[in-house]
Amino acid sequence: MAVTRRTGILIVLCIAAAAIIIAWRPTVLIYGIQQAGLYAAIAIPMGLVLGIVHIVNLAHGEFMMVAAYATYFACKALGMDPLLAVLPAAAVTAGFGWIVFQLTIKRALKAPELNQLILTFGLGIVMSQGVNLLFTSQTRKISLDYVSASMDIGDLSFGIWSFVFVAVAVVYAYGLKFFLTRTTLGKAALAVGQNPRGAAIVGIDVNRVYGIVFALALALVGGMGALFITKAAIFPMVGAPFTMKSFCLVAVAGIGNIPGILGASVLLGLSESILRAFRETRGWADIVFFVLIIVVILGRSLKWSFPLKGRKA
Amino acid sequence: MNRNLARILAALAGAVMVTLPALAGAYPLQVARNIMLYMALAVTWDMLLRSGQISFGIAGLFGLGAYASILAVLRAGMPALLSIPFAALLSGVVALIIGFLILRLRAMYFSIVTLALAEIFRIVIQNLVDFTGGPEGVIMKGRIFGGSDSGIYWLTLCGLFVALGASYWFEKSKIHFALTAIRNNEVSARTSGVDIFRWLLLAFVVTSTIQGFLGGIYVQSYGFATPDSVFSADFTLLPLAMALLGGIHSTVGPILGAVLLGLASEYLKLQIPYGHLVVYGIIIIIVILFMPQGLLGLFRKATRGGKGRAS
Repeated sequence: MAVTRRTGILIVLCIAAAAIIIAWRPTVLIYGIQQAGLYAAIAIPMGLVLGIVHIVNLAHGEFMMVAAYATYFACKALGMDPLLAVLPAAAVTAGFGWIVFQLTIKRALKAPELNQLILTFGLGIVMSQGVNLLFTSQTRKISLDYVSASMDIGDLSFGIWSFVFVAVAVVYAYGLKFFLTRTTLGKAALAVGQNPRGAAIVGIDVNRVYGIVFALALALVGGMGALFITKAAIFPMVGAPFTMKSFCLVAVAGIGNIPGILGASVLLGLSESILRAFRETRGWADIVFFVLIIVVILGRSLKWSFPLKGRKA
Repeated sequence: MNRNLARILAALAGAVMVTLPALAGAYPLQVARNIMLYMALAVTWDMLLRSGQISFGIAGLFGLGAYASILAVLRAGMPALLSIPFAALLSGVVALIIGFLILRLRAMYFSIVTLALAEIFRIVIQNLVDFTGGPEGVIMKGRIFGGSDSGIYWLTLCGLFVALGASYWFEKSKIHFALTAIRNNEVSARTSGVDIFRWLLLAFVVTSTIQGFLGGIYVQSYGFATPDSVFSADFTLLPLAMALLGGIHSTVGPILGAVLLGLASEYLKLQIPYGHLVVYGIIIIIVILFMPQGLLGLFRKATRGGKGRAS
């Protein structure tokens, strides 16, 4: 089968590349993996929404940005640690997402796909510009001691805090897989994703499932928003690149293939990390995702034997 | 009756446009120029939308044209007036190459790739520091026509007429039928012998060429270009909101939307210097949810009692 052979070649290539990088500059590999974890943890909820609700949420990164801002102000006001805010942030963002879904996206579900794209684009603009309006474009950051924790192996020293993103990404991916295949609600969601009409016929309330899945995805995004602020500075436009990179990863993995997002983000994170390692190529790192999306999607569209709607998670 | 009314309105608008430089001062001219520029961009966005493809890449091609024009003047010593068609040509060629790749994508894939275009072009420009001036951008010694307001006004008007002319051509020639067929149903269009890829490529290249042309005009009238200014998301967002508000799939809709939102934006800019774009986001959401055919659609419904167009 073409899929397995291609995957096999890809894995061999990845291992070879990783071996070369380890021998040459281990920190590049480590930071690449950490970055990959961050990308994957943000992309997985988008993959969930795209696979089940069939909506490209162009406001995806903006939802994370809003969650990060909410966490920031909550932590500033209460003197709380952002880590404690992960679960509340997830809950609040899920509620926010539920409301946004009921008020806007639900009404556009029956509309042409392009209307949904423009709608979520508009939502993203409202969120990023709304934050810009309320809190200005000043960057904000919380300094935390444990973020700068580092580890020494021989003469090699590197930050370890960002491995938390990797852990979260893995938990998200396999937690979702468990949810979708083992729980009743998850199975219903999967059925709706595969065939909404068929799911409705067997008695699943499709719109309710859509709402729940959207809220669940936003809970995951909200949790990441709280975690994101431990590491990075935030500003109103901080979410936008994550929307595009998340879509890139979801498309590369194939819609519906949630664990595949992990592999795709390793590819993206490592490539960016390699480019960032050199002064001359540092500025070009943000172009990788574009090259990736073009190459992979075109490769697929040229070979129709390789459908975009691939395996379901 | 209705057609006559439209003609009278068009004639009136034309008269106002032609006499404006003689009557109005610098500030109204500046506002008029902005509106015309965004109007032209809105029309080009709508031209591609008629084929059912949403492009979020207006700012990308626009900024590319802007840089092509200013760099042609600065680096190659090209006359300013000639650099504008050169910018159009370059944007067209780039669009042809990119179109060959990305027009095989459909719907959301196409849209997202175009959304990334502005960002990609910006990164490329920013990294070619020696040639493009990098993040600080480049400044010309003087503006076109010695910075004469009326000269720049006529130039922008010329850009607008190019866009409107192309849109009219798209509406009245067989391109209209090809694009509408593709938008309605690709499979049935293909079975009727419509070469989908060719028509989409034509629409994409023509609209990108005009966007590059407008970028050239924009940069020549301000005399400087930085990645942040010419690839600004405004150049995607405003035309999109204008076309949607006015009514998509027509030439009149974007014009109407551009006049309304263009005037409103001048007011908003003064009231809310930062974050006034939030209004455009809200307009986009409201239009998509409650009046997908825009103001023009509402107007048609009101005048014809809900019946569709005769033709």
